[in-house]
Amino acid sequence: MSGEIELRNLTKRFDQTVAVDAINLKIPHGSYCCLLGPSGCGKTTILRMIAGHETPTEGDVWIGGESVVGLAPAGRGTAMMFQNYALFPHLSVLDNVAFNLKMRGVRKAERHRRARELLAQVRLDRFADRMPSQLSGGQQQRVALSRALITKPRVLLLDEPLSALDEFLRLQMRGELRRMQKELGITFVHVTHTQLEAIAVADLVVVMDQGRIEQAGSAREIYTLPVSAYVARFMGGQNVLAGKVASVAGGFATLVGDTGERFSSPLSGQTVAEGDMLHCCVRRDRVKLERDRRPPGAPPERTNAVVGAVHAIEYQGSYVKVTIDVPGREPFVANVADGRFFADPVDIGDPVLAWWAPEDVHLLTGGLGRSVRVTTFRQAGDSHG
Amino acid sequence: MTRLHHLLAAPLACLLLVFFGVPLVLVVTVSFFDFDQFDIIPTFVLTNYLELFGSSLTYSLYANTVKYAVIVWALTLVIGFTVSYFLVFHVRPFLLQLALFLVCTVPFWTSNVIRMISWIPFLGRNGIFNQSLIALGIVDQPLEFLLFSDFAVVIAYVHLFSLFMIVPIFNSMARIDPAVIEAAVDAGAGRFRVIREIVVPLSKTGIAMGSIFVVALVMGDFFVVKIMSGGQSASVVLAMSNEIAVLQYPPAAASAVVLLLVVTAMVVGILRIVDVRRELAG
Repeated sequence: MSGEIELRNLTKRFDQTVAVDAINLKIPHGSYCCLLGPSGCGKTTILRMIAGHETPTEGDVWIGGESVVGLAPAGRGTAMMFQNYALFPHLSVLDNVAFNLKMRGVRKAERHRRARELLAQVRLDRFADRMPSQLSGGQQQRVALSRALITKPRVLLLDEPLSALDEFLRLQMRGELRRMQKELGITFVHVTHTQLEAIAVADLVVVMDQGRIEQAGSAREIYTLPVSAYVARFMGGQNVLAGKVASVAGGFATLVGDTGERFSSPLSGQTVAEGDMLHCCVRRDRVKLERDRRPPGAPPERTNAVVGAVHAIEYQGSYVKVTIDVPGREPFVANVADGRFFADPVDIGDPVLAWWAPEDVHLLTGGLGRSVRVTTFRQAGDSHG
Repeated sequence: MTRLHHLLAAPLACLLLVFFGVPLVLVVTVSFFDFDQFDIIPTFVLTNYLELFGSSLTYSLYANTVKYAVIVWALTLVIGFTVSYFLVFHVRPFLLQLALFLVCTVPFWTSNVIRMISWIPFLGRNGIFNQSLIALGIVDQPLEFLLFSDFAVVIAYVHLFSLFMIVPIFNSMARIDPAVIEAAVDAGAGRFRVIREIVVPLSKTGIAMGSIFVVALVMGDFFVVKIMSGGQSASVVLAMSNEIAVLQYPPAAASAVVLLLVVTAMVVGILRIVDVRRELAG
């Protein structure tokens, strides 16, 4: 049975609010897909529609080449792992894991044998007779995983599976989930609002905003080649710059910002016209930093540079994150390799010039046309990982 | 335990001692006293108990009272569970749920006696119900079993005590995590499987508490039996109140002690099945 999932024009409205807005998405069989977005973007609603816990207002869900709309959750070949696990508090660990088989009429001895087998695989066989409340968060999660996997589903749906764990366990478990998915060879759909979690595990990352897909692609694509300012800002790791296209020549576009800086960017097959207002982005780790010894307030003479005063310095181990206040722009971040930074460390308040090569700039021409919206997110690069 | 702990527990301990401990000791003591037509004689005799256990009337009284308790318990359980289930799982939004829950308590805004007696003009031989049935041509003769019968007693009990079942069961059910029910549906459980495997076990505490209330209330009642059976039926406490009416305190006290032990045994039985304390803590 194939675990390929296809969403066709999938829409969900609650009263007047549109939670999921005409989504089309194909998740290949045996892949690990992450639905990523801020809370309220509709990612959990999509998961629940795939699982059968929510009925689409319009559109269709196909699993393995068949429409499953109207089928009961248990008839879809899917299993869901709930946020906070939703273990049955009155049943032992063993009975929790065996519950699905009980519902399918498997005899007690047989279902207990299979549950024990599965518990042994996640090293929880010692705890078979405990109650869920007597387990730690990580153990509960493994019970929930075993409970979902006992019927050998073709699709496993995970709703924020790691959010209830502490940082250390979270990192450990996300590797574990990825390994399990590879071993089982089934489709995983994992809902999360944590960028680093998504790009760490997924084959296919789907970035969502307000009920729509902003970008779907491999983790590397999403991270290095975002289609829109929204994705670039949301994923972090990029500085987003705005400007008006002044010239297009030799495979490069030149943008001029409000304050006179000039940014040059390779077109890489994208079509832009002179006069367009555009965003481009530059990776934080490709930015070079030097002291600005010119009189304060003067705009940079070179292309692909900004000037400003150092606003914050955060040591991250292998690199130092330097945030720069650029007048008239959103804060600009340079991730400087630790060796280079400490060769000539700048301090908060120092005037600096940040510059980068044109090849490291990426034009943001796609997305849903909301790219000019100025929203600040908790960015992935701001947390440890 | 420090002195402060004792001090903090003292007010409640005093209340329990004065209003529970002392009367209990008094009743137990009096149950061993002798009596004649005019006096209670403070000595130590076992005759009250011997007569109580020697009389076949005692056993038929208990049989009758337990019969009421079991029937009323079963009916209030079904009503309490159904009403709670409907309120918790089918009524949205939360405010409507709360409003309907309060509606359940409306009958309790008036006195027990009024609520019970209002059944009489309804169920009587020429009552509203019989007249309606005759007017509709369903029966030719008024139904006699409606009032002053076991039927009337049970109806009054169920009406009076259903709320004591609804409240604790509602409370237990409202605390069930909806995700747990969804997880059961995800596992392939249909509606009745969900009720049997998830809702009932997780409402056990409420069911146990409601059962304790209802059983204790029915076992301890004499007024409803007296009025609604029209004197044709009796209960343990009704017999006790008759003894008190003729000032035979020692046998009434002995009867009270035995009833206390029986009801305690029933409550212990219920608590054996459901560990209320553990469930409340968890």
